[in-house]
Amino acid sequence: MTESGEDLLRRALTEAIAELAGSRRLVVVEVAAEGVTAFDLHRDEAGTSRGRERPMTRWAGQTAEGGGDGATPSPFEEGSEGATPAEGGRDGATAFPAEEAAVRATWLPVDARVVLVRSAPDGGPVGRAMEALRAARPDALALNGGGVPVAVLLREIVAAEPLRRPYDLVVLRRHPVTGRLRLACQPLFAMETRRGALSEVTVQCEPSDERGTVFAVVAWQDRRPVLVSVHAVKLPPGRYEVTAMLERPGRVRFSGLPSLTREDRSWTELVSSVPARLGPPSGPAHLICAVETTGPEVQLGERLRRVSQLVTELAGELSGLLQVSLVTYGAHSYDPRIPERPVDVVDWEVSPDDAQESLKILEESRAGRATGHGAAEPGYPYAAQVEDMLAEVAGRLGPPGGRRRTVLLTVGARPPHPPRRHASEILPCPRRVDWERQVRDLQRHPGLVFGAICDQPPERAHPAWARLGENASAHLDTLDPQGFCADLGVTAPGVQRVPFPLMAMP
Amino acid sequence: MSSDQGRRPGDPHSIAIWGAPGSGKTTFLAALNIALILKNGPWRIIGADPGSLDFLKEMTDKLTHQRRFPEATSTLSDYRWLLSRRPEEQVKGLLGRRKGSPAWRIGVNVLDAPGRSFGAERTGHGTDREALIDELALSRGIVYLFDPIRELTDGDAFSHLHGVLADLAGRMLAKDEFGDDMLPHYLAVCVTKFDEIKVLETAEKLGLLGYPEDVQESPRVDDEDAEELFRELCAASPSGNARLVLPTLNQFFHPERIKFFVTSSIGFYVDPEKGRFDPDDVQNLTPEASADGPQGPGSGNRIRIRGPVGPINVMEPMIWLGQRMAGEQQGKEAGG
Repeated sequence: MTESGEDLLRRALTEAIAELAGSRRLVVVEVAAEGVTAFDLHRDEAGTSRGRERPMTRWAGQTAEGGGDGATPSPFEEGSEGATPAEGGRDGATAFPAEEAAVRATWLPVDARVVLVRSAPDGGPVGRAMEALRAARPDALALNGGGVPVAVLLREIVAAEPLRRPYDLVVLRRHPVTGRLRLACQPLFAMETRRGALSEVTVQCEPSDERGTVFAVVAWQDRRPVLVSVHAVKLPPGRYEVTAMLERPGRVRFSGLPSLTREDRSWTELVSSVPARLGPPSGPAHLICAVETTGPEVQLGERLRRVSQLVTELAGELSGLLQVSLVTYGAHSYDPRIPERPVDVVDWEVSPDDAQESLKILEESRAGRATGHGAAEPGYPYAAQVEDMLAEVAGRLGPPGGRRRTVLLTVGARPPHPPRRHASEILPCPRRVDWERQVRDLQRHPGLVFGAICDQPPERAHPAWARLGENASAHLDTLDPQGFCADLGVTAPGVQRVPFPLMAMP
Repeated sequence: MSSDQGRRPGDPHSIAIWGAPGSGKTTFLAALNIALILKNGPWRIIGADPGSLDFLKEMTDKLTHQRRFPEATSTLSDYRWLLSRRPEEQVKGLLGRRKGSPAWRIGVNVLDAPGRSFGAERTGHGTDREALIDELALSRGIVYLFDPIRELTDGDAFSHLHGVLADLAGRMLAKDEFGDDMLPHYLAVCVTKFDEIKVLETAEKLGLLGYPEDVQESPRVDDEDAEELFRELCAASPSGNARLVLPTLNQFFHPERIKFFVTSSIGFYVDPEKGRFDPDDVQNLTPEASADGPQGPGSGNRIRIRGPVGPINVMEPMIWLGQRMAGEQQGKEAGG
């Protein structure tokens, strides 16, 4: 069985389109009875074939009204997101002699692949135009057209292409312990998937803003997501079974939801509207309070009172589920006359009441020891044993793995000691403990969050305090216990608007 | 060489330790005493009179026992010291001639720059400008202390140097006594505070650090490389004037009479238990707590010396000057 002219043309164009990649371009020139039409095609970042149809260049003596192809729809105008409209449109067509029309049609990028399609009998302007085009681009593939206009043929080929990149739905994943939200992807269609394929996903929609929940589809290009489409729909909070259908490369339609509309907000705007955390997770929590004991007594008393406030706040929110540890740390001694005082674990995993009692004793004993408002603790004055405290806490927590919510609350002012000589001129930790490494180790605990209350304003505090207060930070004088606990993700922050669907938990 | 009690008018063989106010002259002298004791060689520093001896003992005790820096004093010019070398054991040579070095005594005077004249009110005390010029004119060896840390903050080394040298040259060269319009002194330029991180790291960056196989294994900068470090530190001075220091010295002194040394009066920290230099923990200074709450480096806390004092290159400039001056004197005596 021999292939018809249309089959040959379809196969040739399919192969030519399949070879589009990166910056390569394809130009298909249709020489018809009415004139010459060129179609530019390329592949976008998401791997979808895109193109545009140039205005027809008519033979001399022809008019737009007289041209039969004038009404043929462009494959790139109908539903082609991101396509550039045809320049000038068909109504703007102008009549030219055949050779001139052919030459005009050859203003092509030199690196573009060219396919010439003759859709009308040879002879007259069609023959002369084909001859001129072949002369202009001897490398061009020349084929005879069938009964189907090239525009229609191209549309069918593009729609039938398999996916060149996998498509995912953008969702949010919520940390089961801390409630932290992060953007993630739910696979919809694998590579090579063709139109008509279906994919079912179950998502949880939280309250959104007035524009609704955003259903964004991305394609993956070298581990980098590229947006394919972004639509939104206003939904009541709840669980939704959604069916995604691949209409064609570049277009995914969702069913099981009310009608979606195109989302106009920028991607940056959408991403920045995602809250850091969602809701208060339930379950036990462990609050580790590490208090620096250096500095004037009045300052230390204030630190202890702030810790007491937070213990009270959290104990109220998590009745019966809170355990508290209390650790104090001071200054290293580099003077042999002053003995080194190690980090003191006053309490470990005790009830909030016991911790409050310890805080009270600590404050009283400190006040008793004080010699006045400005009493200074002996030892090195420019830093404190932050790094030793972190090592002590990390050692007691053991290897990462538990999912219990843990808060490391550091309250103080001074920076840690560096592990070795440093341009800051702060003396190195006598045990060479590296505070940054300790922080990294603690960050591996899936349920651990960092909170810091610093005596210094952020602009004056050592950069270590930004790490210690990664999840919540406050100045000693302006602590809002409720807001601080909400920032830590251990209490409810109030009504939250979530722009993307959440991956539903099984 | 002189063998009397300190400086005499006209004595050409004294060494002047000179530097900007607060550049560590008194500490340098005390460190010199410690370095000579540690060396256990023929050299020692002695007081030229009981008062100077007591002052030296007090400063040395301050540095070693109390681990504090001597306070700046305005009475430095009242004291006189002698760098003394015991005669070496004399043995018969092959030809029956006697060998060995004779006893040396070189006067050592510590001079402040005229601080008041230059508005140096921060540390140290200025001496009378005329007295300073007199002292320098009487000496033939100068230890010039260049404090790169002070230069980074105050940037006044050039202003302390230039006026004094110009006056000194005016005084000494007016009579055309020296023939070539150059000052007759030997000059040991000492880059001080090598133990400070900024100085150490500058030397490290330039690849100038060497680690001799001594007990503590502290790094050193070879005397041959000291000028390069000096230039680099001058170039880093924010005032921009420090780059004028070296040309100024070359303008007044014979280049072959100038030698550079990288020094530290207290040395790097060496853990007494380990007895070894640790490149990760080098600072031999530590601040003391104050009642003013959290502070940081440079906030003015009282400073103490953290570990044992191990002077670096403090003795060497003095001995180099002593040898040069002695050699010159012997040459003159031989020439009649």
